[in-house]
Order: sequence, then structure tokens, then C-alpha cells
Amino acid sequence: MPFNNLLSAGGISSSGMTAERFRMEVIANNIANANTTKSANGGPYRRQDVVFAEVLGQEAGKDALPTFGGVRAVEVVEDPSEFIRVSMPGHPDADENGMVALPNVQLPIEMVNLLTASRSYEANLKAAQTFRQMSEGALALLRG
Amino acid sequence: MTPSAFRTDLLLQSMSVAALRHKVIANNIANVNTPGYKALEVSFEGELARHLGQPAGVKPVVTESDGPERVDGNNVDLDAELNAMTKNSLLYQAATQILASRVGSLRSAITGR
Repeated sequence: MPFNNLLSAGGISSSGMTAERFRMEVIANNIANANTTKSANGGPYRRQDVVFAEVLGQEAGKDALPTFGGVRAVEVVEDPSEFIRVSMPGHPDADENGMVALPNVQLPIEMVNLLTASRSYEANLKAAQTFRQMSEGALALLRG
Repeated sequence: MTPSAFRTDLLLQSMSVAALRHKVIANNIANVNTPGYKALEVSFEGELARHLGQPAGVKPVVTESDGPERVDGNNVDLDAELNAMTKNSLLYQAATQILASRVGSLRSAITGR
């Protein structure tokens, strides 16, 4: 049945939107903490990254068509790269040489990632809108 | 003219393939930032054209695209996917419109008006 089969497409697009929005939240958190020297686990804040994974659907059966699961943000990982060291002798977190370790957040990188996430979100939204148009076409058949 | 002459089976088949293709494209778009994901594509129309005599046996085939990969191993081309999605949506709408007009003709024949 074509219509039944079509309904799950909304879920795929919404999984994409959820994942991209989560990525935007993590990026916003990185930007907000770009100068945080005291984090939950001691030292300066570490930049975080999201890992996406495809949600596996079912393979095509004898008669059935394959199904698709969309995407899911599986984990948030910390960026292990070096902290940025700046000379600020008056800072309470400065070491004996007057150096302060600042978070490894680089604003240009975060902004580019934010832009990619936002564009991908729009693409998923477009897919959801197209899905709605197609469903309306199928529903119009009922009106005769 | 018998109902089978209206070829509604063919229209339904092309609608369900368009529905499948929309899901495949939505899945590709959802995974545009998933490292290592390979874009999928549905091939059906070419196969159908070769078997127009017996269209019932033709099944859509989902294959991985071999387009150029990005650094993270993903090969989804967002522009191509959006273009394919628009085209596919028009195809689906065309099939529903034709189906609606065929059903309309059948109704006229039945009611005699």
C-alpha cells in the first residue's frame, strides 16, 4: 500500500532534524564556554563534538521493500587537542609562570560547524515539507 | 473498456516506488553528517521501460552510490539529493493526478453522467 509505506518518511526527516539541532546545542555550549577555566572535572573546559550514526532499518525481504531508520546522535566526545596557553599573571588559575590554560575552543571552527548544522537542518525540513505535499496528493484521491 | 485497461496497477507501482525513493532520499539527507555513510539510490524506471509488457514483475533496486567521498568517508551530495527529491515528488503527484482522473472516468462510466 503506497500510502502506508510513505508515512514512515516523516520519522526519517525528523530524526535528522533532532540530530542536527542537538549538534547546534553542543556547538552553542562550546561557544558559551570558550573562556571557561573551571569545568566540572577540574581544569579548563574541553571542546565537545557529537558523533552521528545511521539507524539501521530492515533489509528488503522477498516482497517487502527495505525500511530506513534515519540518523541518531550516539555520543558526545571531548576533543583531546591541546589547551590554548595565554600569559595572564593576575588570573586566579595562572600557574607559577603566569600562564593560564584556556579551553581548546576555536570560534571560526565552531561557526563553520554551526553553519553546516543549520544548512543540514534546513535540508531535512525541506524533505519533511515535500513529504507533506506528497501525502496531501495521496489524500486528495480520497476526495474523488 | 475493462478496469485493467486503465493501468491503475502501473500507477500504484510507480507511486510506491516514488514513496520508497522519498524515504531513501530522506535517509540520505538525515545522514549527511554521518561519517562513513554511503548514499543510497533507487533504480526502477529504466528496468520498467525494458519490461513494459509485464510490469508486475519489476522490483525497485536500492544500491549504494559510488560518487566521490568526502574526507570523512561520506558521499551524500546534498544538492543532488534535494533535486532528486523535488523530481520524485512531482512524479508522485503526477501519478496521483492521473489516478484521480482515471477513477473519475470510471465513476462517470458507472453513473452514466
